[in-house]
Amino acid sequence: MFIKLKTMFFMLAAITILAGCTSTKVEDNKNTDELVYATVKDINDMNPHLYPGSMSAQGMVYESLVENTEEGIKPLLAESWEISEDGTEYTFHLRKDVTFHDGEHFNAKAVKQNFEAVQNNKEKHAWIKLSDKIKSIEEVDEYTVKLTLFEVYYPTLVELSMTRPYVFLSPNDFKNGETKDGVNGFHGTGPFKLTEHKVDQYAVFEANEDYWAGVPKIKKITAKVLPAGETTLLAMQKGEVNFAFTDDRGADSINIEGINQLVQAGDYQLTRSKQMNTKMIVANSGKSESPASEKNVREAIWYAIDRETISRDIFEGAETVANSLFSINVNYADVSLKERNYDIARAKEILENAGWTISSQDSVREKGGKKLEMKLYYDSNSPSQKAQAEFIQGSLKEVGINLELNGEESTSIANRRATGDYDLLFNQTWGLAYDPQSTVAAFTSEASYLHATKGIPDAEQFYKKIEETLTTIDEEKRKLLYEDILKTVHDEAIFIPITNGNVTVVAPKNLKGISFKQTQYELPFEKMYFE
Amino acid sequence: MRLIRNLVRDKLGITSLLFLVLVMLMGVFAPIIAPHDPLAINMPLRYASPSWEHLLGNDHLGRDVLSRILYGIRASVLWIFLALIISVCIGTVMGFIAGYYRGIVDSIIMRICDVMLSFPVYVITIAIVGILGVGLENILFAFVLMKWAWFARIIRTSVLQYIEMEYVKYARTIGLSHRSIILRHILPLTFSDIAVVASSSMSSMILQISGLSFLGLGIKAPNAEWGMMLSEAREVMFTRPELMIAPGVAIISVVIGFNFLSDSLQVALNPELRQPSKIIE
Repeated sequence: MFIKLKTMFFMLAAITILAGCTSTKVEDNKNTDELVYATVKDINDMNPHLYPGSMSAQGMVYESLVENTEEGIKPLLAESWEISEDGTEYTFHLRKDVTFHDGEHFNAKAVKQNFEAVQNNKEKHAWIKLSDKIKSIEEVDEYTVKLTLFEVYYPTLVELSMTRPYVFLSPNDFKNGETKDGVNGFHGTGPFKLTEHKVDQYAVFEANEDYWAGVPKIKKITAKVLPAGETTLLAMQKGEVNFAFTDDRGADSINIEGINQLVQAGDYQLTRSKQMNTKMIVANSGKSESPASEKNVREAIWYAIDRETISRDIFEGAETVANSLFSINVNYADVSLKERNYDIARAKEILENAGWTISSQDSVREKGGKKLEMKLYYDSNSPSQKAQAEFIQGSLKEVGINLELNGEESTSIANRRATGDYDLLFNQTWGLAYDPQSTVAAFTSEASYLHATKGIPDAEQFYKKIEETLTTIDEEKRKLLYEDILKTVHDEAIFIPITNGNVTVVAPKNLKGISFKQTQYELPFEKMYFE
Repeated sequence: MRLIRNLVRDKLGITSLLFLVLVMLMGVFAPIIAPHDPLAINMPLRYASPSWEHLLGNDHLGRDVLSRILYGIRASVLWIFLALIISVCIGTVMGFIAGYYRGIVDSIIMRICDVMLSFPVYVITIAIVGILGVGLENILFAFVLMKWAWFARIIRTSVLQYIEMEYVKYARTIGLSHRSIILRHILPLTFSDIAVVASSSMSSMILQISGLSFLGLGIKAPNAEWGMMLSEAREVMFTRPELMIAPGVAIISVVIGFNFLSDSLQVALNPELRQPSKIIE
């Protein structure tokens, strides 16, 4: 009796396990107007005037006055605009057929209220220099607004085109006329509206039937939170999720082999954008007690990283080797800079000359009793960053540098960047729409790279130069200033480039119209359709 | 002596014991027996399949999996063993103080134990790692902090049981010092309980450490640890499932080993538990 029971139990268990193994592929591909994408993190607070939210989600719901495209700035919510002779007054003529998702009309008043709400929370927006330059915003008539600046600021239109903060939320959602302490709803003007949000589970966006540029063909987009890449892969195989892309922080949760396997199975396609940003290690030159504050150490690290191998083996060729902070196709970045190729002997020589001596083969270099030890922080959600970190750790050990690796949440890393509590960390430039002006402006922003660049000799002078660059009208002069700035950070080896990253999209085979924007942060979902 | 004799008779028990001793020795002598440097990165061999040179293949950085498993014994078994011994020692001392002297001391110690035991181990460990930072030493510290209370409770009960024995009463009456009563008349008896409890909690500790390392809270990269190796293999679970086998089997076999050992210890120490057939023999 007992034995029988046992056998039965065993068989039952075996059946359960086997049943779990069979691929119960959901045949809901007929439902051809829905996308379900996997995201590592919840979309978070969708308030477009603050920063915790997911940019790809905000990009679907909110729109800006103008759009940054490959061909330059194009109209979006503003049909046309004029810039005054002296370059300090911008007059925008708004589209007349736009309504917010709550039915409220989009007009000059809404623009003014949104701008003022942003300006009232200026400290938060220090990275975007425009927030410092805006003197006033006035309604000229129902569909015309005039933006007045204190002084000329050449990237004005570019910064107005960004995903945040200069985008528009229905004034009905404001709390006491402000947005800085939270909002009552998330009604934008964009092609999709947020209809349901379960924190850390999913968020549903539905097509905006009154969208001014035509109703999007994709009727429903769901952002499903799947923190681990293997779950995403499995969910894609089963059809629970049918779309995945590189997230805000540049982390691809699915590994490249997994993607290839999906594509080979025949149900999915893989699309990569062109090179969009530079993935790099940021060295904290401002932390004087850390060896990273020493130029020679930073240079030695640069020489000791074998970028070819990282690009070929870890990224399987999907990302190309980067040799400078910005690749030369970025505006103003076509500057001749000293190349620092992989050269272990050179790295050792630099350290030796700088007084970091080594006692035996496998030990750590020392100078004045201080060990050459640093901490490198990487995003724990990104398997490729971890692999790179371990690889670099191995190479640096060969040179006599001891690297301690710490994997943390991306928010915690952003926090370290803002407080300066790091030696080295993984980061990326902000994409074509932001490079170089915003990334360079971020050198002076506490929340971004101020700590990293503080150690540059004559830093005050350097920051002044950045300020000057952004307010120069003369194109030639600006070019020279940029050249000078880029040379300084390159020579100081503060941003150690690794690869040029891109945005990867894995989508159902019959999805057409996949394109990219000028930033890695959003995708134009409204242009996609099923065939 | 009787213990060893009984244990030797139990085939499963003695096999487990020998296996575990062997594993621990391999961990201690890892630098000598490991075929390669566990940290040596060799990108051309990324995800290479097993070969004569690398018997268990290579991981995502081309490191030798076999060498990493061998070095992993240190973090996954030896250090845990040390943490276990420390918490057993603390637990024994506390348990004896509480059980032998009773009264107010007993109440205080037992209330402290209640407090410690009312926290879930995982939550406290994660909290401690949150405060002190990621690292194996912090997890072990958390374990010692949490586990001693459990041992103290069990040992106190067992002390209470023996303290009422006639010969202990006699020893007290003739004026033997507390120290020699504890050391000579009670400790040897409670020793069996300690051994059983310790060996059975060893396996749960191994699993917990592996679990925490899997979550990325344990040992720091690039050092080898079985839980972390599993977590690294997890990333390529559907494309290269074979990478999970080596660390998985290592964890399972050691945990099973400890479980069997603790079962046999219990039987060996308490012959009444032995199955009828063996008694006849």
